[in-house]
Amino acid sequence: MTDTVKKRLIKFLVSLIIFGIAILIIVYNLRDNIVYFYSPSEIIENNQTGSQIIRLGGLVESESVVSDGDSIFHFNITDGQEQISVKYQGILPNLFAEEKGVVVEGIYMNDGRFIANKVLAKHDENYMPPEVIKSLKETGKWQE
Amino acid sequence: MSLALHYIANLLLILCLVTSMIQSRFLFNIQNYNLFSISQISAIQFLSILVSFFILIFLFITSDFNFDLVYFHSHSEKPLIYKLSGVWGNHEGSMLLWILILVLFNFLFSLSKSRSQKFKEITVAVQSLMIFGFVLFLLLLSNPFNINNENFNDGLGLNPILQDPLLAIHPPILYIGYVGFSLIFSLSITGLLTSEVDKKWATIAKPWVFAAWSFLTAGIALGSYWAYYELGWGGYWFWDPVENASLMPWLSATALIHCVVVLQRRNTMQSWTMVLAILTFSLSLAGTFLVRSGVLNSVHTFASDPGRGLFILIFLFIILSSSFLLFALKSEKINKPSLHNISSRNTGIMVNNWLLISILIVVFLGTMYPLATDLLYNQSLTVGPQYYAISITPIIILFLFFMILSPQLSWRESKLLKILNEMRYILISCLTITFLTTLYFDLFNFTEILIIFLSLILIISSLSLGLNFKSTKVIVKSNFGQSIAHAGFGIFMLAVVSNAVYSQEKIYDAKVGSKLQLDEYIFDFKNIEQEEKDNFNSIRAYLSLSKNGKDLGEFSPEIRFYSDPPTITSETSIIHQFFSDVYVVMNVPQNQESISLRLHIKPFMNILWLGVIMIILGGIITAILNRKKYEENAIN
Repeated sequence: MTDTVKKRLIKFLVSLIIFGIAILIIVYNLRDNIVYFYSPSEIIENNQTGSQIIRLGGLVESESVVSDGDSIFHFNITDGQEQISVKYQGILPNLFAEEKGVVVEGIYMNDGRFIANKVLAKHDENYMPPEVIKSLKETGKWQE
Repeated sequence: MSLALHYIANLLLILCLVTSMIQSRFLFNIQNYNLFSISQISAIQFLSILVSFFILIFLFITSDFNFDLVYFHSHSEKPLIYKLSGVWGNHEGSMLLWILILVLFNFLFSLSKSRSQKFKEITVAVQSLMIFGFVLFLLLLSNPFNINNENFNDGLGLNPILQDPLLAIHPPILYIGYVGFSLIFSLSITGLLTSEVDKKWATIAKPWVFAAWSFLTAGIALGSYWAYYELGWGGYWFWDPVENASLMPWLSATALIHCVVVLQRRNTMQSWTMVLAILTFSLSLAGTFLVRSGVLNSVHTFASDPGRGLFILIFLFIILSSSFLLFALKSEKINKPSLHNISSRNTGIMVNNWLLISILIVVFLGTMYPLATDLLYNQSLTVGPQYYAISITPIIILFLFFMILSPQLSWRESKLLKILNEMRYILISCLTITFLTTLYFDLFNFTEILIIFLSLILIISSLSLGLNFKSTKVIVKSNFGQSIAHAGFGIFMLAVVSNAVYSQEKIYDAKVGSKLQLDEYIFDFKNIEQEEKDNFNSIRAYLSLSKNGKDLGEFSPEIRFYSDPPTITSETSIIHQFFSDVYVVMNVPQNQESISLRLHIKPFMNILWLGVIMIILGGIITAILNRKKYEENAIN
C-alpha cells in the first residue's frame, strides 16, 4: 500500500467510526424521546394508561373549565365523540379558551383522568394545531 | 394613486426580471451584448427592487388598504415602527425583502475586485439566474402589490406578539445571513464550472462567508432572545422545528467557514468546501421557506401557505440536483492531493467538521422524523427536547476537546506531548478552578463538570492565542477574530450548562400585599393597575424584589389585551443582575381574589448572551480584517 492510500484509508475508517457511533446514539435516543399524539377517542379506544408521557389534543369543552385555587385547573378536552377530563397545575396560556383548540402533555391515569404537566399554546388566535384539525376531521366535527 | 403605484411596482419587478435575464447570458456564452457593464446592470437590478420595496413601505406607512397585503397585515392605529415591520411580517413582503438582499449581494459583488473578469461574469450570472427565479415566483404566485376593489376602512392588523422592536429587525438580519450564502453558492458553482477552486477562490469567498455567517448567528440570537423575554416560558431555545430550521444552516455554515480557512491556507479540502457551500445554501432556502410554507408544525408559524411550499421544494430540488451533478462531474478536477500529517490542524478541523455534521444530522432527524411518521403511518408525534440534549451532549464534549486542540496544532505537523507541555499551566489552573467550583456548588454530575472544565480551558487558551502579552502592552494578533469567537463559544457553553443546572421556577396564586419567596429572593406583591394605551388595554402587576433585605428593583409584568386582531399577550418583566436574571410572568386573572404569577431564576443569562456576542464579533472581525489581504490577492 502506498502512503496516500494508507492515509486515506485511516481517514475513511476514523470518519466511519465517528459517524457510526453518532448515528447509533441518535437512533437510540430518538426512540426513547418520542411523545405520541392522540385524540380523546383514540385514548379511550386504546386505553392508553400508564407511565408514558403522551399528548392529547382537541377542543376545550364549553363550560368545563373549573379552577380550585393554587393554579389548579380542571377542564374537558373533546373531539366531538369522547371527552377526557384534564387536571393541570400551572399557568394556562393566554390563548387558552373554551371551544378553542388545545394540546396538553402528560399522563393518562387508570381512573380516566389526564394529568397534564404542560398546556401548549400557539401564538396566533386563529391557529389550530394540525393534529387537532386532523382528529376533528376524522370525527366529522371540523368546520371551516 | 393606488393604481399608478400598482403598475409602477409591477413594472419595476419586470425590469428586474429582464435585467436578470441579460445578466445570466454569460452562462450560455452569449457575449454580443455590451451596452452596459456588469456592475451597471447589477445596479439596475438592485435599484428596481429597492424602489419597489420603498413603494411597499410607503403603502404600509400611508395605510393604503386598496392593497391586499396592507389590508390583511396592517392597521391604521398601529405605531409607525410596526407598520414598518409589518412590511416583512408576512409572506409576500418577506419574499420581497429576501429578493432585495439577493440583488444587494449581487450588486456589491459586481463592484468588488475579482480574480478575473470571467470569474465575476459567471458568478453574477448564476446569482442573476436565481434572482430571475425568485422574481418570477414573486410576480406570479405571491405578488405583494395585488390590489382589491373594495373600499376597506381599516386593516386587519398585525399579530400583536410580533409587535416588538426586536422582532422588527430580526427577519432582515436573519435574511442577510441566509441570502449571504446564495453568493457563496454562486461562487462555488463558478468555481466548479471554471475548475478554479483554490487559494484564490477561498480568498475571494472568505469575507463574504464570514459576513453571512455573522449575520446568521446574530439573526438566530435575536430570535432566541425574543423568545426568552416575549414568550414567557423562561427558556431561550426550545428545539422547535422553526428554530431547528435556522440552526441547521448555521451548523453547516460553521463547518464551511473553517473549510474556507483551510482552503485558503493549505489549498486542500476543495470537495468538502463545495459540498458544504451547496448544503448551507440549500438549508438556508429550506429554512426560510419551509417555515413559511406551514409544512413544519411549530409555535413560530405565523404566515403560512402550503401551496407555495411546493414551488420552493421544486426550486430546491433543481438547485440541489443540478449543483450536485456539476459537482460529481468536476470534483476530480478541483481536488488537489493533500499533503499533511495526521497530527496537523487540518485533521483537527476535519474532525470538528464531522462533529458539526453529526449535530446537524441529529437535528435533522429530530425535525423530520415527526413529518415522516405523519406521512407514512398517519401517526402524529413530537420529539422531546431530551432527545436533543442527550444526543448532542457527547458530541459537544468531543467538539470542545478538538476545539481546544486544533488551534494549538500547526498546519504541517505537531507533537502532541509538546503541546501538552506548553499548555500545562492552563490545564492545571482550569482543573483547580473546576474543582473549587464543584465543591462550592455541590456539583457532582460528571458530564457537567467535564463540559465546564473543557469550556474553561477553551476560553483561556483561545484568548491567549489571540493576544500576545508582552511585559508592558498587549498585542492583538491577526487571528484575533477566531480567538474571540472560540472564547465566546466557551463562555456560551459554560453558561448553557450552569443555566440548565441552576434554573429555578415556582408558580404562585398571589394576592395583593402578599410576600412570595423563591430561593433567597423575596417578591413583595404591591398592587395591580389597569391602563389604557394606544392600541391595547393592559393589566399591570407591581412587585418589588429583595434579597437578604437588600432592595434589587421593581417588576411590572403585564397582560395586554389587543383589539385588532383580538389577542392577549403577556409581557414578562426581568431584572438583570450580573450573575442571574430574575423573571416574572403573570397570567390572565381567572378570578377576582388572586392572580397567578410564575417566578423564574435564570442564572448566567447575561453571560450566555455575552458569549453569543463574542461569537458574532469574532466573525465580523475576521470578515473585516481579511479585506486588505483579499484585495491584494485578488489583483495578483
